[in-house]
Amino acid sequence: MDALVNVLSVDRTDPEIVAYALESLLNVTNPDLLEDEDPNLQTMGKQFTEIFIKKSENVVMLLSILDDYDFRIRLPAIRLMTNLLVNKPKEIQEILLVSPMGISKLVDLLSDSREVVRNEALLLLAALTKSNANIQKIIAFENGFDRIIQIIESEGFSDGGPIVEDSLHLFLNLLKSNTSNQTFFREGSYIKKLLPFFSQPDENDIGWPTQKVANVYHMLQVVRTLVSPLNPSQVTLSCQKSMKSCGILQSLCSILMANGVPAETLTEAIVTVGECIRGCQENQEYFATVMAPSDPPRPALLILLMTLVNERQPLSLRCAVLYCVQSYLHKNEKSQADIVKTLLPSSTEVSSLSAGQLLCSGLFSKDPTSNWFAAAIISHCLVDNAVQKESLLKVQLATKANSPPITLLHHILNTVQQTNKTQVKIGFLQFLSVWLESCASSVTQFLSNSNAIPFLISQITSGELEDKEVFVQGLSAFVLGLCLYFNPNTVPSFTKENMNQLITNRIGMETLTDGLNHISKSEFYLHSLKHPQLNAKHSTDLLFDHSFCLLFKKYEPLILLQLSNPHSQVLSPQSTLAADFSKMGYINNHQSPNDVINSYKEVIRRQDESIDSCKKEITMLQAHNSEYKSKVEEMLSEVMQLKNQLALAQAQRESMTVRQIPEDHHLAIVAAKDNLIKELEAKLEGYNQSYTGGSPVLKIAMQEDLITKLEDENKQLVEEVERMKKDQEELLELLTEQDNRISSFKSRLREMGAHVEEEEEAEDELVPANMAAFDGGGEDFLN
Amino acid sequence: MSYAYLFKYIIIGDTGVGKSCLLLQFTDKRFQPVHDLTIGVEFGARMITIDGKQIKLQIWDTAGQEAFRSITRSYYRGAAGALLVYDITRRDTFNHLTTWLEDARQHSNSNMVIMLIGNKSDLDARREVKKEEGEVFAREHGLIFMETSAKTAANVEEAFINTAKEIYEKIQEGVFDINNEANGIKIGPQHSPTNPQSPAGGPGSSQGSGCC
Repeated sequence: MDALVNVLSVDRTDPEIVAYALESLLNVTNPDLLEDEDPNLQTMGKQFTEIFIKKSENVVMLLSILDDYDFRIRLPAIRLMTNLLVNKPKEIQEILLVSPMGISKLVDLLSDSREVVRNEALLLLAALTKSNANIQKIIAFENGFDRIIQIIESEGFSDGGPIVEDSLHLFLNLLKSNTSNQTFFREGSYIKKLLPFFSQPDENDIGWPTQKVANVYHMLQVVRTLVSPLNPSQVTLSCQKSMKSCGILQSLCSILMANGVPAETLTEAIVTVGECIRGCQENQEYFATVMAPSDPPRPALLILLMTLVNERQPLSLRCAVLYCVQSYLHKNEKSQADIVKTLLPSSTEVSSLSAGQLLCSGLFSKDPTSNWFAAAIISHCLVDNAVQKESLLKVQLATKANSPPITLLHHILNTVQQTNKTQVKIGFLQFLSVWLESCASSVTQFLSNSNAIPFLISQITSGELEDKEVFVQGLSAFVLGLCLYFNPNTVPSFTKENMNQLITNRIGMETLTDGLNHISKSEFYLHSLKHPQLNAKHSTDLLFDHSFCLLFKKYEPLILLQLSNPHSQVLSPQSTLAADFSKMGYINNHQSPNDVINSYKEVIRRQDESIDSCKKEITMLQAHNSEYKSKVEEMLSEVMQLKNQLALAQAQRESMTVRQIPEDHHLAIVAAKDNLIKELEAKLEGYNQSYTGGSPVLKIAMQEDLITKLEDENKQLVEEVERMKKDQEELLELLTEQDNRISSFKSRLREMGAHVEEEEEAEDELVPANMAAFDGGGEDFLN
Repeated sequence: MSYAYLFKYIIIGDTGVGKSCLLLQFTDKRFQPVHDLTIGVEFGARMITIDGKQIKLQIWDTAGQEAFRSITRSYYRGAAGALLVYDITRRDTFNHLTTWLEDARQHSNSNMVIMLIGNKSDLDARREVKKEEGEVFAREHGLIFMETSAKTAANVEEAFINTAKEIYEKIQEGVFDINNEANGIKIGPQHSPTNPQSPAGGPGSSQGSGCC
């Protein structure tokens, strides 16, 4: 391995040897090598890949080798990169993501004029884009969609070879679960470019080639990815609208009605149409108008229903039809009403084939699967639609000659009791539970059949069940629970209270819970709950319908809650929401579904109100909080100010003591002068004594001069002392004033709770003492 | 909706400067106050009119965090315009501009138009970077400059549209090679007479308007 890698880096200039080295690496990393032999050998490719990528530089080097245009090098290099990606996708993806322009370079390979290289690049990118949203987005940014569509176009769309299939693989990788790319795809008007794929098949075309089937199948997957019910609903809805405005939906519908379309393609096309119209009113309306080119022309919907109740049609096709028709009914009250209308008595005079007739034939068919399908479709007309639940109650059937007609609901109930086919029981019980949900009148009609409740109880309590019989038990428990939960107390023998007692005495909470658990724990249930499309491999696997699963999920806990509190009219406060409902009489007072809706609205309104008031409270508290904060800040700044003032005052006082020094100095001068005077006086005396000898007049005159001079001097000194004393007094005054200010600051500080140091007070006392001593000294001198 | 040209933009800059908010304000005309971290890149698009011509802007909003830097680098090359965003209330986001610019210049095509944006101009009280500083930086590095507020929408339209105008002018001057899609510019389908892609005679190709 090392030697080969070495060749790649050292002998780059020799294309031949580099090509050989690449080929060798290609062989050892081949993931398909020895596939059916020793399982240990199968991992060889992986192991070699691991060794190769231990140094991520090797991958970077391979990336740079791809720049080489030489066919002999580029082709094996692409293949080697593909091998590496297949063996260690995550690791290689990370390395390529961090190498500058790594991904972009690989996308560029799609533009290689040599088809072989381009085709290999397609495979490389398909491996590269597997479950890595970041790489998928970069490829979309690098015009990946344009390049792929160009390739598909040049290959002739659906009539193209395996290259088209490879391109579509890449397409799917880029779009699957990648909302950003889906938006980009729609925004970039790429949907329109898919149209030629679904162009009207030639009427003379007998039998599609396998490759075309595969290509169209993959293209349908691309469309489904864009309108998948699992995408964010906004993304799906905009894509659905684009499908219609670009004509894709129309083309798909024509495939549905065309001759010679292989079953596999047809099945997938039906599912795709379903997802294109699911929950999108505009598209559902369009679908209702699609006519089949039959004689006489019939709506496509009818053709689909005919397929549904025809037991000779393949199961996968019938499942696809179920999904498509359910999608047509999904969240669309008008289409639900249209179907129910054909079941009502008024429309019986219509001679032509109607949806109602087909569905009834399905319900009464000997084929249990048809029964199940028909029940699933009719129950879908009732989902979240209170009006249709009421209307359907009016349907009367004349089952046997000479016997009085019975209602559809009772017929369903009777069939459940009489049939020994588990699938029919399951299908019809599901139908009943959808019908009973939130509909007091249907519960009343159900309970008015005196056999209904005893039958359910017998089902629930029958032990030792096999296989799918447990689901019948679970569904019986659920239907019983719904009868209790939505009981309007209109049937005297089965009031809410009666039923509660019945359940406690005859069944027991545990048995009922066990029954419900049979459903909620089953794989079939969990699978159907996850996705609206049902994929049954065998007809007996048709058990739970998606819309029923949603219903079951919602009401199972509510029924158990109701049961856990058998005697009270008001539910236990275990759940605040339930308590809320019961306070408003939701549980006891649901005469009509409107009440239920209103009660929900009431709950929402109240919650809204409380949220609002909470919000207001929060803003008020926040305002208070900021107010307090600003107050605290204000006070802090005041304290700071005072502290500053105090410091200033102290500084002033200190400077005052400094100014006392000159005072001392004056005193010293005075003392010195004093001494001088004394000295002079002594001298004068000396002169007076020596006056007896010498020239006395001159001497006296001199003496006299001297005296006057001295006297002047003395006078000046006295004046000076006096002036200094005045200064001193002034200073003293100033000092006391300062003292007062300081003490007032202190008291203010104390008021504000600040700690005033003892030291400061001691100092304060010291200063006046000094001053007193000084004062005394001054007076001494003057005296 | 058909267009004369399509421009690809990227939005770059530190995390939390408001890149996603700018995009949201531009494409959806709304402001989302909660910071929702961008993972990798997110896509948005809008049509504008310049010189009477419809121009489609495809905008890739990148993650500002260092961890995503290598991913966002992949977007430089194919972009015709870049909005380089900083936050006027956070000086560090301004200080990092040089790094961003070096990164962009290194990986993008040399003609890419870069618009420098000081975002959050509504928070003037908390401003840490003066408008003049932004202007000086832009002048020194040859960028266009604007202060915007994704919250109040001030200058947001202008920022995106002025960048487009600059690109448009460069096209008119012949600076951009519009036939090389790697430059982040595409000519609208009906505007290129030699477009090999137009599905000739494909059913519905004429009724396919309003697809976006």
